[in-house]
Amino acid sequence: MNRFRITRTGTYLTIQDWGRFHYQHLGISPSGMMDPRIPEALAAVIPQHQNQFLEFAYVGPSLKVEQGAIKVSVGGQCNIFVQKNNNTQIEHAPYTSINLFEGDELTIHSTINSVYGYIAFENGLGLEPCLQSFATDTKAQIGSVNRPLQIGDQFKISQDVSSWELQSNEEVNILKQTNFKVHPGPQLHYFADEVVQSFVSSPYTITTQSDRMGLRLEGEPLKSHVSHDILSEGILPGCIQVPSNGQPIVLMRDIPCTGGYPKIAILDSEDISKIAQLPPGTKITFDF
Amino acid sequence: MFFKGINHYGNLGLILDFGSNSSQPISQEVNTVFALLQGLDLSQLNIIPSFNKIVVSFQNSQDRNQAQAVIEHTLAKANLTNSQKDRKTWNIPACYEDSYALDRERIQATHGLTKEEVISRHTGVSYYTYYIGFMPGFPYLGDLDPSLITPRLATPRIQIPARSIGIAKEHTCVYPKVSPGGWNIIGQVPFNIFSLEHSRTSLFLPGDTIQFQSISEKEFIQIQSKDLAFDEVIKEFSQ
Repeated sequence: MNRFRITRTGTYLTIQDWGRFHYQHLGISPSGMMDPRIPEALAAVIPQHQNQFLEFAYVGPSLKVEQGAIKVSVGGQCNIFVQKNNNTQIEHAPYTSINLFEGDELTIHSTINSVYGYIAFENGLGLEPCLQSFATDTKAQIGSVNRPLQIGDQFKISQDVSSWELQSNEEVNILKQTNFKVHPGPQLHYFADEVVQSFVSSPYTITTQSDRMGLRLEGEPLKSHVSHDILSEGILPGCIQVPSNGQPIVLMRDIPCTGGYPKIAILDSEDISKIAQLPPGTKITFDF
Repeated sequence: MFFKGINHYGNLGLILDFGSNSSQPISQEVNTVFALLQGLDLSQLNIIPSFNKIVVSFQNSQDRNQAQAVIEHTLAKANLTNSQKDRKTWNIPACYEDSYALDRERIQATHGLTKEEVISRHTGVSYYTYYIGFMPGFPYLGDLDPSLITPRLATPRIQIPARSIGIAKEHTCVYPKVSPGGWNIIGQVPFNIFSLEHSRTSLFLPGDTIQFQSISEKEFIQIQSKDLAFDEVIKEFSQ
């Protein structure tokens, strides 16, 4: 038996996988990783990840091996340190395998010019799926663990690591962009031509009121000449909805399943991961 | 037939349009088409019905484009007037007493109704379940007696107690869990309406009919203390 404990949560530490599907008609959101490109890159280092990843935002966690040994890899732009049992400290690079033995403590510092980072574990985290997925939706309290992780949470990985040989993925290329291609939203006609012109010609700033549910933007207000209140209809990650204050919200992975605001546009699905990584204060532009 | 056509919804989605209004006949057609789509094996990720739309999402645009052709072909020859099978009729106990009805007195004042009138008008209608949305297991029910139609709260509450019965516009609902929300709270149900332990997950499903029955606070506490499992609730309160 191998066991580790969370000794620092950082911010917004949750378990995520590729998403929970086929339940949105019951009001259950897809959830899943905000930036799946990173776990995809980690899979080359830790192929036996069992689809059980830790996701953190801004500040990474610390975890300490209490029994046995585990093999992990960290993805994202961040500094990674291991405090060894003998009190030496070793720095590791992202997308390399890290062997952690009894008493070792892994600490991940803040994400650099980005938001989300991930940890992959060989043989997973010993979790049972909830509605066919390991992902945590903290607002709906659904998941293998139905809340953000807390200090003291323990994980037991029964299978031992197969090889301590170091592995790395040298070909990680996580692109960053601030101009986003969008598709017409179902209520695009709720907005007059000159309003749509503002939407594509002026920058919008990502505000601090942004999380796994959505990114609230601030910029030229987008007023509808029809209504800001529609009959609620199905929404998907990437939908850009505009409430009555005219400030658009980009819906992300923990979406409410239906929404009653008009949608001016829908982000290209490829770009949801990219926009997720832009910290508050970043100016972005849209283009049809 | 209300179905108007299918449009793209971003690069991975489709939206099926059933017009711009909401009504029970439209919803019945939406839910008939929903059941039809579920049976088609479209490689979809999600099918999301609402009052007058169905959104379907896919993993990639190739799957989406193939599915669009299949859906168009299927709907062209389908009989959408078929009524749904497996619908349940519920008789749900509800307590409208002060401790569970945060907004009832304000509703009375707004509409010039007595407490008994609010209760009898809310329990006097057999509600149709339009769809489940907003949060896990949250049913959109309707339509309210016109004298109870009330706008949402101007400022939503940060925390609404689990199992609360709300009204907003021409609809009524039950909050499955503690949640922020803007519906006017007029009562509470004495058991869970969402369960991960039961295959149904959501007690109420689209097309179900729900009639509330007023119970006293004493009866409420009595039923609540039994902590009924879904199977017991289904056995005791549905047909």
